[in-house]
Amino acid sequence: MASEKIHTGGSLLFNVLQQHGVEHVFGYPGGAIMPIYDALYDSDVKHFLCRHEQGAAFSAVGYARAAGKVGVCFATSGPGATNLITGLADALADSIPIVAITGQVPTSVMGSDAFQEIDIFGLSLACTKHSFQVTDINDLEKVLHQAFAIALEGRQGPVLVDIPKDIQIAHIVSQGNVVSTLKNKVNLPPANVGSAIAMLCHAKQPVLYVGGGVGMANAVDELRNFIDITNIPSVSTLKGLGAIAPEDENYLGMLGMHGTKAANLAVQKSDLLVVVGARFDDRVTGKLDDFAPNAKVIHFDIDQAEINKRRAADSAILGDLKTNLPALAIPLDIKGWQQECQKMKADFAWDYNHPGNTIFAPAVLKEVSDKMPINTCVTTDVGQHQMWAAQHMSFNDPSNFLTSGGMGTMGFGLPAAIGAQVSRPTDCVIAVSGDGSIMMNIQELATIKRFQLPVKIVLIDNAKLGMVRQWQDLFFQGRLSETDLSDNPDFVMLANAFDIKAKKIVAKEEVSAAIEEMLEHDGPYLLQVKIDAADNVWPLVPPNTANDKMMEST
Amino acid sequence: MNHYRLIIKADDKQVVLERILQVARYRGFLIEGINAQVNTGTNIGTIELMVRSERPISFLVDQINKLIDIKDVKVDTNTSQ
Repeated sequence: MASEKIHTGGSLLFNVLQQHGVEHVFGYPGGAIMPIYDALYDSDVKHFLCRHEQGAAFSAVGYARAAGKVGVCFATSGPGATNLITGLADALADSIPIVAITGQVPTSVMGSDAFQEIDIFGLSLACTKHSFQVTDINDLEKVLHQAFAIALEGRQGPVLVDIPKDIQIAHIVSQGNVVSTLKNKVNLPPANVGSAIAMLCHAKQPVLYVGGGVGMANAVDELRNFIDITNIPSVSTLKGLGAIAPEDENYLGMLGMHGTKAANLAVQKSDLLVVVGARFDDRVTGKLDDFAPNAKVIHFDIDQAEINKRRAADSAILGDLKTNLPALAIPLDIKGWQQECQKMKADFAWDYNHPGNTIFAPAVLKEVSDKMPINTCVTTDVGQHQMWAAQHMSFNDPSNFLTSGGMGTMGFGLPAAIGAQVSRPTDCVIAVSGDGSIMMNIQELATIKRFQLPVKIVLIDNAKLGMVRQWQDLFFQGRLSETDLSDNPDFVMLANAFDIKAKKIVAKEEVSAAIEEMLEHDGPYLLQVKIDAADNVWPLVPPNTANDKMMEST
Repeated sequence: MNHYRLIIKADDKQVVLERILQVARYRGFLIEGINAQVNTGTNIGTIELMVRSERPISFLVDQINKLIDIKDVKVDTNTSQ
């Protein structure tokens, strides 16, 4: 029970944040949130001033994902609040627990089109798990506690609390830690376990399909124990990477549009999919009707709405993965299938031979992965570099690979790396970006400079919006519309302007030394890697095509 | 096209109607009618929602059930077709 004390709304906010263990917040001040920033002045919470509210939101997301805590961001009313929206949408799509606090114009002028007034409460409906607007100071404390509870309960997600300026300065006696009562958690129906076990026992060619829900449920150990006992061949979604031990001999890599050939073929041949914390995303399934056509489905998830949403489940096991996964951990007699999968894995292993002297991005990222310290946290932006990172880098935990999965948000990587570095100050953090993506939140180099964060940036530079260019070449008859970025700034000079050491490499023989120099550097570092603009990401499953009909070259 | 009638019980909280309507539209259900009233004693709202869609109604029920302020969602099987 916290001590009773008279607070302003602003100081009460920090009181509640501290009760929830919040040590760091990311934000940007402005008129309608000034009382909260005034209260910050006396708070022990450390604020990281970002240079754009979108950067603050993504830093909160990166913080949450890297640390397994709730990320918190602040913005003022109007444009400050609307600038958070992309970050909130990203957090909703990837089920990331963040609490966003927005200032609002005083209640007396709300609805009058006041200066910097926008209905952020209304705008939040489609991009948050839940949202609140506090119009009575007596509700503030309870609402703030509820915001944290909702962000973390069940399928996690972003919560927005909009606080008008007069509520921030109003006085109130703290009621102490108000316990929030939310909906009861769903329990495992015993009958479903029985049918699932029977399916698993009878399966001849089962595949484990692992999604981001495993990391979110903190169930990596349970998943790996399940794999150890069953020895089941496994595949991962983009957001699930890191959940399965990369060295597992039965692990086939990522499935889907840019998945490995072995992963996609195994899934297509399977007679049972054990789906854990995944949602049959369209980038995973390709043509849905042709996805794993002979497979029955056991679907583990925390969210009832994901069961039968895109693929009917023959057995649905709803609830906490940590509790439910062990119930199905039984030895399987599938030796022949394991050997077939292992053979596909060997036959279709990555080939890093690349003619000529231009740098091959997959080989660079593989080398970075091999040389980076254990427990390095890698973030990415969105595009070709993102898929190459997913394909060629290895992660030993989902919290070590932060990428915008559901929303696919360019501009995610750099601010997410800032959040990750703040949450894990002693770990190496590497942002893998592209020359298109990095410019979307380039202003956050100033945040890196201000706080002297030792973030490493690997900038894969093809002077193109590479993934769009690849699709224009493959599916739009080579009509390259608005994908040329040959007028990019000098990235080395740009980094230097923020006191960040930088280096540009253009040839294969420069790669190894440059990676080592970057990793050995104490502070922030940008490594610009020039690659051939014509390089494509392979394999690729074309749109509305079955995953076994992947393209492997032009 | 399938027609459905839902009976939704919800806490009488801010924008709960907007949330339900937004979810219905986004998930592909056309709203044909709505009635709503609040029991001032219990602060529980009852919302009668008539929708049509090619999609199965479970798709919408599961999504409305996820809204924080929702207490219960039932499909009126007598009038749904």
